[in-house]
Formats: sequence, structure tokens, C-alpha cells
Amino acid sequence: MSTTAFQQVLHEQRSALLTAWINHVAALGDQHGSHEHALDALLRSLFDDILGILERQPTATLTLEHEESLTLALRQLVGEQARHGSSASTCVNVVLTLKHLVSAQLVTAAEVTLAEMSWLEQVFEQLTLLTVTAFVAIRERQITQQSLSLLELSTPVLRLWHRILLLPLVGVIDTVRARQITESLLEAIARYEARVTILDLTGVPVLDTSVAQHLMKTIDAARLLGTRVVMTGISPEGAQTLTKLGIRFADVISRATLRAGIAEALLLVGQQIAPLEGKRG
Amino acid sequence: MKIPILRLERILLVSIQVDLTDNDAMQFQSDLVEQVAEIEALGVAIDITALDVVDSYMARVINDTASMVRLLGAESVICGVQPFVALTLVEMGRDLLGADCAFNLGQGLEILRTRIATRGDTRLSEDENV
Amino acid sequence: MRMSELPPAQIPLHETADVVTARRAARELCEQLGFGKADQTRLATAVSELTRNVIQYANHGECVIENRSTATHRCIWVQVRDQGAGIANLEQALTDGYSTSGGLGAGLPGTRRLVDQFHIESTPQGTCITIVLTKPL
Repeated sequence: MSTTAFQQVLHEQRSALLTAWINHVAALGDQHGSHEHALDALLRSLFDDILGILERQPTATLTLEHEESLTLALRQLVGEQARHGSSASTCVNVVLTLKHLVSAQLVTAAEVTLAEMSWLEQVFEQLTLLTVTAFVAIRERQITQQSLSLLELSTPVLRLWHRILLLPLVGVIDTVRARQITESLLEAIARYEARVTILDLTGVPVLDTSVAQHLMKTIDAARLLGTRVVMTGISPEGAQTLTKLGIRFADVISRATLRAGIAEALLLVGQQIAPLEGKRG
Repeated sequence: MKIPILRLERILLVSIQVDLTDNDAMQFQSDLVEQVAEIEALGVAIDITALDVVDSYMARVINDTASMVRLLGAESVICGVQPFVALTLVEMGRDLLGADCAFNLGQGLEILRTRIATRGDTRLSEDENV
Repeated sequence: MRMSELPPAQIPLHETADVVTARRAARELCEQLGFGKADQTRLATAVSELTRNVIQYANHGECVIENRSTATHRCIWVQVRDQGAGIANLEQALTDGYSTSGGLGAGLPGTRRLVDQFHIESTPQGTCITIVLTKPL
């Protein structure tokens, strides 16, 4: 089998191409010194795989998913980039840089057939697709992990004082979170026999119908257990929205700030924060 | 048409002196609510002595304002509902005006002060002033 | 001055300020004809409800206030009409507590209780409501 001009160029310029690519990628991503070695190894292995495919006989259909070594290396590379906060376009650029380097070499070197150029196009199109898919998959996994950890983080029920619980709500409350909040709150109320529960809404950006309904359910259930509910930190916009939606929190004490809410809660349990003996005045 | 909101320490006083259009009423509502949040008001007295027509819309604006104010942690009282206005409202439908009412501004203030005195956060500011 | 000489008032309804104009005109005529304070408030409130409905649901319309007093009775006749889409379910609209606008649902049924006569006609081409307040001289 005779080697075509295409294959010859790839063969001759192999090491030059690899060095150029590694340099370009380093310039792209502003990598930290400690990771360079690992990144180089990855790029090397990826480079070998890509060139291996390019040197093959062109075929009409090409699916890179079956190239296990290539797919794995690319996923690792994208994962590395994503971990350092690179954008999707940076990852795609890494691949496209190699394409530009290769095609620049081909144009200057020898007569290359149209079929070979379109093979180059085809291979890199598939590579780009694979990169984007890998990037999206990694991001999705990150988001799932983050929302899971947010779910765990965001529902602490705090024991503020003897028989006073504090539930600081932060962020967006959806059905899943609302249910979890209600459950953990009711559990805590029963365990500590809380007389007063403070619901602090300072960190809730949007109060809409669904949030309000979740709140009402939580409050109603809490009341059934025998605790008084004090709501704090509703914004003027929140107050207007709730009222215009026709939502009335009957029998709930509402205070502008958590500070005022704590004072109210202390009064309800007959406690007081007072200066130490002899320090007054 | 802007309705002046007067401040007496942490109590806000509003006297509606003119016949409000619907837009004026909405403007008044959001102005008052913003002000309550800004100064963390403890009480709000709305005087409607000068209103000789309170229809279902205006009644709703007043009720809503009272609940918003309550959500923001302040007590509220409506003062000076005219006898014929009261009669008309009752004839139109029961409970159209659900907020707490007082005979005049003076009595309204008295009610507010009594209620504020029993609140926990008033003690808080005493403690903080030590 | 004889009462019947007072000219009828015709108030175009385009914006919320016109609601105020209409209910003031109604109250004024009421006062001139010698109705008591309670009736003045009732009529002004009724006119306010009806004219607001026009602005809210039909955008434009008009309100006619006429003195129809006779030798034996003082009488105010008010007609509020629009070319809006009409009221789909009249019976429902006249039921206490029913509201399409998130209001208290006291508008039409409440208004009906405030006046001596209440007549409503509503087609998809428009709505016309007539209310009358009468009192023997």
C-alpha cells in the first residue's frame, strides 16, 4: 500500500505538530505549573489517537464513540479543563487548534486531495461533537452534585434557645426542598418540644404562590404540634406579592427582622436577654 | 397625587384627604409598604376621615395594605370611617373592611401604642440602649 | 329652581380618574335633590363600582346621570354602558363572592343592594346597567 501525501506529511511533521499543539494549548488555558505534566501526557495520548484515525483510509461514516482510548482521553482532558473553570469554547478550541495546525501543514507541504481534506473535516467535526458532549455531561454531573449538597445544606433547624427553634430559609424553595424542610422542622419541634419556631425568610429571593403554599403547610403543621410561628425578614415586595395572591397567614406573628423575631420569641417563652449583674449603667 | 406619610418615632401616620383614583390608591399602597420596611415601623395608622366613598376596590386596597403592613411586622389600625361609609360597606357585603378600626386618629394612636407596648421587640430596643 | 331643570350629566369613561368624576357628579346631584347623606354615599359607591367595571373590563364607556324627579318623588336615574365583550355568566356575576378579577366579589351584587332599582342587560356587543334611587317628596 502506497503512502499518500497526506499520510506522509502527518508522519514527517508528527513531533513538530505535537510540540506546537502542546504550546498552543498551554497558551490557551493559562495552566498552573503543577498540572502541566499531567496535561502533557493527556495531550500526547490524545494526539496519537487522533493522528491514528487521520492516517486511516477515509470512510463515509465515522463514529468516534467506539474509539475507546480516544474517548477516554478526551473525557479526561475536558474534565480537567472543566475543573479549572474553563468554558466549553476553550475545550473546543483545544481540539480546533490541532485541526488548524494540521491543515496549515498540509497546505504548505504537498498536493492533498479534496477527499483527504474532507476526511480531516469529518474527523474534527466528530471530535468537536464529542468534546461538547463530554463537557455538557460533566457540567450536568456537577449541577446534580451541587443541588444535592445544597439540599443537605439548606435545611438546618437550629436550636436558638430552650424551646425556641430557628429555621433560616435560604435560596429558592421548590417542592422537594419544601417537603424536606417541613419534615425536618416537624421532627425537631417534636424532639425539642419547641414552644416557638422562627421562620426567617430574609434569604428567600422570590415569594410566589407555590412557595407561599409550602410555607402555609409548614406553618399549619407546626401549629398542630403546639408551637407558635414567628415569621421574619419578609421584604416589602414579598409582602405585596403574598397579599395580592390572597394569602393570609392567620395567627402568625410577623416581624421585620430576625432581631425583632427573636425578641418576640423570647417574650413568648417568658425569657429575657439581660445585662450581667452589676454591669448595668 | 402623592399622599404624605408622616413619621412619629416608629409609627407612621397617613391621612387620606382626597378622593383617590385607583392608580393613586396603588401608589399609596406601595409607598406606605416601602416606608414601613425602611424604618422597620412598629405601627401604622391610616386615617380615612375625609373619604366619603369607599367602594369594594378601595376597601380591598385598605385591607391589603393592612395585611402587608402586618407581614412586615407592624401593627395597623384604620381610623375615622364615616358612619355612612360604614353603613354602605355593610350593605354591600359583610367583612368588606376586615382591618381593625378606631374612631379617630387619636384613638388609633392609643390602640397602636398599647399593642406595641406588649410586643417583644420593644423590650429589645430597651436592652440595646443600655 | 325646579329640580327637573337640572341638565343630565354625561361622563365619558376612559381612565380611572373618570370613576372619581362620575361618582362625584352622582353625589352632587343627589345632594342637590335633597337626598340624605346615607343615600348620597350609597349612590356614589354604586356608581363607583359600575364605572370601575367598565374601565376594568371594557376599557371605554359612558355614564349618564339624570334627574327624573316627578311631582311626588325625587328620583335619580343612572345608566352605565359600554361596548365591551359583555358578561358571560350574568347569574354568576350577580352572586356574592364571585370574582373574575381577584376582588372581593362584592361589586355587582353589592351594588344591587345599594339602590332601589337595578337593571342589567349584557350581550357580547356590550353591557348596559341602569340603577335608580327614589324617595317620596
